[in-house]
Amino acid sequence: MLCMGKNDQQAVQATLAGDKDAYGVLVVRHSPNLLRVAFRITGNEADAEDVVQEALLRGYRKLADFDQRAQFGTWIYRIAVRCALDRIDAGRRDGRLNGRMEANLPRVGEESDPEQQSVQVADEAAGPERLLLSGEIGALQQAALGSLTPIERAAFVLRHLEDRGSEEIGAALGIAPNAAKQAVFRAVQKLRVRLAALRVSA
Amino acid sequence: MNHLLDEALLAHFYGESESETESAFAVESHLAKCAACSAAYAALRRDLAAMQAVDLPARDAEYGERVWRSIAPLLPAYEKPKKSWLQMGLWRGLSYAAGCALLVAGSFAAGRLWEQRQQHGPVAAQNPQPKPAVKEHVVVVVLDDHLDRSERLLVELKHADAGSEETLQPLRDEARALLVANRICQKDAAVKDDPQLATALQRLDQLLDEMTNQPDGLNAATLAQLQQEMNANGLLFEVRVLRSRVAGQQAARAGLPKRDNAVGGTI
Repeated sequence: MLCMGKNDQQAVQATLAGDKDAYGVLVVRHSPNLLRVAFRITGNEADAEDVVQEALLRGYRKLADFDQRAQFGTWIYRIAVRCALDRIDAGRRDGRLNGRMEANLPRVGEESDPEQQSVQVADEAAGPERLLLSGEIGALQQAALGSLTPIERAAFVLRHLEDRGSEEIGAALGIAPNAAKQAVFRAVQKLRVRLAALRVSA
Repeated sequence: MNHLLDEALLAHFYGESESETESAFAVESHLAKCAACSAAYAALRRDLAAMQAVDLPARDAEYGERVWRSIAPLLPAYEKPKKSWLQMGLWRGLSYAAGCALLVAGSFAAGRLWEQRQQHGPVAAQNPQPKPAVKEHVVVVVLDDHLDRSERLLVELKHADAGSEETLQPLRDEARALLVANRICQKDAAVKDDPQLATALQRLDQLLDEMTNQPDGLNAATLAQLQQEMNANGLLFEVRVLRSRVAGQQAARAGLPKRDNAVGGTI
């Protein structure tokens, strides 16, 4: 049974002092946040759950290096973002994630394939217009995100969906704040082109 | 009028305008006057508004517990931090130093306390006045000087005129002074196991004692008696012989100071 009375700092100190269960307190407390951002970046539930576990394992191994003046939540969040990026890279290398995300959207300049779009939605007969009008834009959005580089995708998610500033995005991605801002801009430009293509095809 | 760049519009949308020309107020003012930029900004807002988060169905409250159960077996417990040998040695050294300091301080305090009790205790109350230091008169008697003075005294005694009181009194005073020195020399002769000297000094002691302690002082009768005793015992001769012997010994110890023949005593 985990003792949830400890705050993050106390739990970190107890963990480093040999109380392994104290880390369980941190896991229980932060797992939902990590799952949310991991899913938004990877776009896949199974990958997101793997990312959460990987981030928490990596955090445990690096806990001795954690500066206890900082917030554990922020620290483990950044680790989860890195893990999610690693997951996207790994998926792209074996073609799994890329294919899953991009299979549903037409390339720029290509005609969209209504049958292909239907793979990601409940109504197999629905076309892009149907998708947009019926609130199934989430599937299209995920597919559009799949066209971005991992850094652009993560930067956009953190800026647009997680409401993080450029400083925080840069810190999470290991890049300068201005580079993070540029990554967000490129992501938005690409996404708008994708969405415009859908509207035209609809 | 220059139109706003897409980058500036995006920064404005996210509230991250940086430069003065791209400040929120400047952008809003421009958008109010520029139809093209206003339309572009509206399109941007529409597109970004369409990009809403698609989240997972909410997990139950046990989700975190399940994650913990899945990873807990993979985590080795951290070892309790051990104190380094340097820290241990430092603490041990400091402990020893503190112990020694405490011991010294305790001893000092106990000593002071004991000293105070000695000063203010019952013994001190019985003897409130400090005991006066005993003055010890140390007389250094040089044997050959003593023999020289004794010889002169005996010569004066031999030729003394009983009718002159003024002549006898100094003799008596000198005899008293020589009596003390003579007893010191006697002791020294006994220690040095010198029977000849001891015997002569003993006879001299008797004579000096009689000269000093005559109840009526020196008079004609006592003077004649003393002169007779002195001559009968050959005391003057004996003193001269001893003085000569001591002088010879001094000569034999050439280079040694005269003080080597000194004898000391306490009166």
